[in-house]
Amino acid sequence: MKYEYEKAPELREYSAEQGKVDAPRDKKIIAKDIPCQEACPAKTNVPLYIEHLIHGDPEASYRVNLECNVFPGVLGRICTRPCEDRCRHNWTNVNGPVTICHLKRAAADGASETVEPPAPYFEASGKRVAVVGGGPAGLTTARELRRLGHDVTLFERQEHLGGMMRYGIPRFRLPEDVVEKEIDLILRTGVTAYTGVDVDSAKLQQLIEEYDAVCIAAGTMKVKPLDIPGVPPDAIIPGLDFMAQYNTGKIASLEGDVVVIGGGFTAVDCSRSSARAARRLLGEADDVTIVYRRTEQFMAANKDELEEISRENINIRTLATPIGGTAKNGKLQSVTFTRNMVAPGTENGKVKIVPVPDSAFEIPCTHLIVAIGQTQEFDILPPGVSPTEGFRTSHDKVFVTGDFATGSDNVIKAVANGRAVAREMDAQLMGRDRLRDVVELQPIDNDGDTGRVRDHDLATRCAMPLTPVPQRAHDNQEVETGFTPEGTCVNALRCYLCHYKFEINQDKCIHCDWCIQAAPRDCIKRVSRIFYDEDDVVETVVEANLAHEATYIWIDSDECIRCGKCLRVCPTEAISMKRAGLTVEKNHDNDS
Amino acid sequence: MQRQLTFKRVSEDEEIKAAGLNIDFDEIAKKGSMSKEEGLIAKWYGVYGSRQPGNLMTRMAIPGGLITAAQARQIADTAEHYAQGNINITTRTALQYHWVKIKNVPLLLRELREEGISTFHGCGDVARNVAACQMAENCPHRVFDVRPYAIECAKFIASCRDLDNLPRKYKINWSGCTAGCAQPYMNCLGIMAIRCRIDGHEETGFKAVIGGGMGWQGFVAQDLFSFVPKDRMVAVARAVGLLFRDHGDRYNRSKARLKFVVHRKGIEECRRIVLENLRQEKVSTDGILSEPVEELTPPLPERPLVDSELEKMEGPAVVRIRIPKGEMTAAQLRRVAELSEMYGDQRVYTTNRQNLELHGIEPEKVRAAREEVHKLGLSAEGVSGLRDIVPCVGKTYCPKAVSTTRDLYDLLMPVISQDRFRDIDEYVTVNITGCPNSCSPYRITDIGFRGMRIREEQGSVEGYEMLIGGDQKAHGQKLGDFKVEDCPAIVETVLTTFQKLRHNDETLTACVNRVGTEPFREAVYS
Repeated sequence: MKYEYEKAPELREYSAEQGKVDAPRDKKIIAKDIPCQEACPAKTNVPLYIEHLIHGDPEASYRVNLECNVFPGVLGRICTRPCEDRCRHNWTNVNGPVTICHLKRAAADGASETVEPPAPYFEASGKRVAVVGGGPAGLTTARELRRLGHDVTLFERQEHLGGMMRYGIPRFRLPEDVVEKEIDLILRTGVTAYTGVDVDSAKLQQLIEEYDAVCIAAGTMKVKPLDIPGVPPDAIIPGLDFMAQYNTGKIASLEGDVVVIGGGFTAVDCSRSSARAARRLLGEADDVTIVYRRTEQFMAANKDELEEISRENINIRTLATPIGGTAKNGKLQSVTFTRNMVAPGTENGKVKIVPVPDSAFEIPCTHLIVAIGQTQEFDILPPGVSPTEGFRTSHDKVFVTGDFATGSDNVIKAVANGRAVAREMDAQLMGRDRLRDVVELQPIDNDGDTGRVRDHDLATRCAMPLTPVPQRAHDNQEVETGFTPEGTCVNALRCYLCHYKFEINQDKCIHCDWCIQAAPRDCIKRVSRIFYDEDDVVETVVEANLAHEATYIWIDSDECIRCGKCLRVCPTEAISMKRAGLTVEKNHDNDS
Repeated sequence: MQRQLTFKRVSEDEEIKAAGLNIDFDEIAKKGSMSKEEGLIAKWYGVYGSRQPGNLMTRMAIPGGLITAAQARQIADTAEHYAQGNINITTRTALQYHWVKIKNVPLLLRELREEGISTFHGCGDVARNVAACQMAENCPHRVFDVRPYAIECAKFIASCRDLDNLPRKYKINWSGCTAGCAQPYMNCLGIMAIRCRIDGHEETGFKAVIGGGMGWQGFVAQDLFSFVPKDRMVAVARAVGLLFRDHGDRYNRSKARLKFVVHRKGIEECRRIVLENLRQEKVSTDGILSEPVEELTPPLPERPLVDSELEKMEGPAVVRIRIPKGEMTAAQLRRVAELSEMYGDQRVYTTNRQNLELHGIEPEKVRAAREEVHKLGLSAEGVSGLRDIVPCVGKTYCPKAVSTTRDLYDLLMPVISQDRFRDIDEYVTVNITGCPNSCSPYRITDIGFRGMRIREEQGSVEGYEMLIGGDQKAHGQKLGDFKVEDCPAIVETVLTTFQKLRHNDETLTACVNRVGTEPFREAVYS
């Protein structure tokens, strides 16, 4: 027919306009568009919970967090924040990332006591599952298995649930009541928990026989030994033991110099805790020193925490390895270190170091805390059972998760692993995958009103209010006291709300360029050609300078600040806004 | 610049407006540029951006489409001084300059002021130039002369400081009858003079319709009042302005116009608010009616402005000057001013088809006047007909335009000027608008074009959405999206098809209404 012109195909990014989609391209696009969520091991819907905070609804924000994050109050304080490293503000702005982690805490602090646990996915299955270990991984696994409809019994060696959250992390970073509140939410799902139960190999064998499946989330409790010539072995305090004693009030005070060896989470927490125990926060007497063999960059503490370590008068010595010690009358006097230097290449993904010849130096030391890592106690596994790949073991009914599966890691990864193993166990118990991960696309018809304007991007971050150093030693007072409502709002408003996606319907677009003129930055482009990857995801575009070269007008989601100005200015209503979110739905594909 | 960090639901433009509407053009001239904020507020003073970097457009308000000969000369002189000697006529009967350098803006404004010509409220979120029937005082079909009302309305509304910051523009139009030459149904407020019988008495007054508009979404105005006494129509215009001010969307500018208020709230609610506004201002609502009245208007010709209708006029005549593309030189305007003094009433009238008129010409001097017009290289015939194509300025000047409307004008003119189409000269009109803003109202004409770009395998080309069969009460229907190079052949096909299908003196729109678009579609696409 005349005047039916040949046109380049319509350009759509997601595989559908709305509904639940799960094509590879859909998952790739949401991962690219929402980098913070992608970076989060638990896939927390960061922009959605921040949006609820913007609208003054911390409870809704908390519920969003609770869904994937399981311990928002805990993680809002102590998460390693991989999300913030990937926040788009890092590459589109100069004021640093959104304070994603602390906003999670704002949600938790603002939520009421009546928040309910997340709803179950399925009715009771009749299956019985045992979980060994009441730390973050075990608790998460137990909660998710409950949501999947299984009868869950959890066994914990310690007197209280919480694992590292309760015994490993000091109260001044993570108050006990925060941990308790979130454990309570898990127990309210119907998990039966027994504490003070030491599950050994024999007990585990018994559990395997009694239950339909067993998951071991026993963490990494076996301390890596460190033999230092001249240091009496009993003078070395393992970091985990120190923290457990400190958190249970068994270490009231310390006299003399403290040296902490290590650069991981435990080492850092030991140094800060001992500074309190020794009342050295203001440098009153003697020293607390943390010594790490590599550079600060590879220490577990983030920049904020390193700054606090310095403010608390803790010495940080990096690039040093212990080589000896002196003792008098069986009491430690000092530890000798050799200097290290950075060498070319890497070692286990970290900077490579070599010792500097003839560089020994001595640090006076009364108490030596060693926190160089810990490993799994594999001897709790019954004979013949050993871990294989992922969360599996050589026994069909036995799964592993958390640090017990991966080695020592952080809480958010434990949560992620807990959720993953629960799904895997469910699939085995029920004979099929009953849930599937999907991208939910929801068109939003509100004039592109996300509430954002360009000025929100330019706002300076509100800093986390801190307890003054002189007050920190008293009652283990929490150092970070939480944002004021105004601080929460300013920091939340900085979020680009990347879960909103603005797209141009190319069949409606008339290339008027009004959106380009209205755009606050170079976020809408004239494009002459588009190249796609194997999953039909836009990989690269060739930009066009001239109108006749432009095949498409395209919104670059990497640059889009979700202000909606383009949508409001579009004369042909070609621009639409949708909300994208990762979710799960019941999988009917393999219903029997 | 960082503005307030709140969730206040207003557009950025609203924040700028709220900071104040004053502007110092001398300072701007001195620094040689305008900030974003100044660029917006400048519109209130008729100063608008241009497609050509370093140049501005400046629009004069011409209330009622009437200027004196002295004003016409001043406008011409100023054009030569500051605007490369060109003047454009708008479809709302205003005049505007392009090519104004920023340093010349204050000089230009002062020079116009010498003859009482103002650019105030030429653009911006205000009541725009108040338009009236081009032949308000001499049309044989007029109920009475509405031009004095239009001018009074323009002055009054422009003096209302509380109407300086509306959500968007507010367009008011006064018509001498209900024929619709002035296009009342596509205005925010359309006012039509009517004669009717009320309580057994013959009365003259106004009928008011609101909520019409073009833009991307075309709306036909709805009846607000069936009758408004003459002495209160200007007050009603203000009351409608207050309705708009208080209820227009200040967040989404593309849905801010009064037409969306009427669409959203419904005409009943809008009427209630307008009446309440009148009461608040102590304006009597007695005699303002909304129920239908018995109109006593005699039958009106479908197209009262075509040449053959004008030839039936008695008394002082009208000589019309067809201005191609609505653009004339200063010399032409100056000469037209002289002609108005030589032959007419010392006034020059602007029209919504971007033409000029001379009124009050003694019938025996019409020929001489027309000859003078021809000497200017302009035509005095074919106004309001097929050859009177109305293009907006398009990409030639307008920063918003998508298409070069004047190119299409040049492509179409040889086609429609063919002798074989002379029989339908007065039965087809063509409008071309370069973007969805529809400055040339393409929906209410027989053949309407709206600029766009059409995607190709790679790249894109200029094109047009083409409508046929529109009038101000029933907008045109889409025939298709066509590349600009195809438009002449398609127009030729549509005209030929119309010639085959038409009955008697049917207009193209009447024909489309009778047979539908399908026969035209078949002819074009087959």
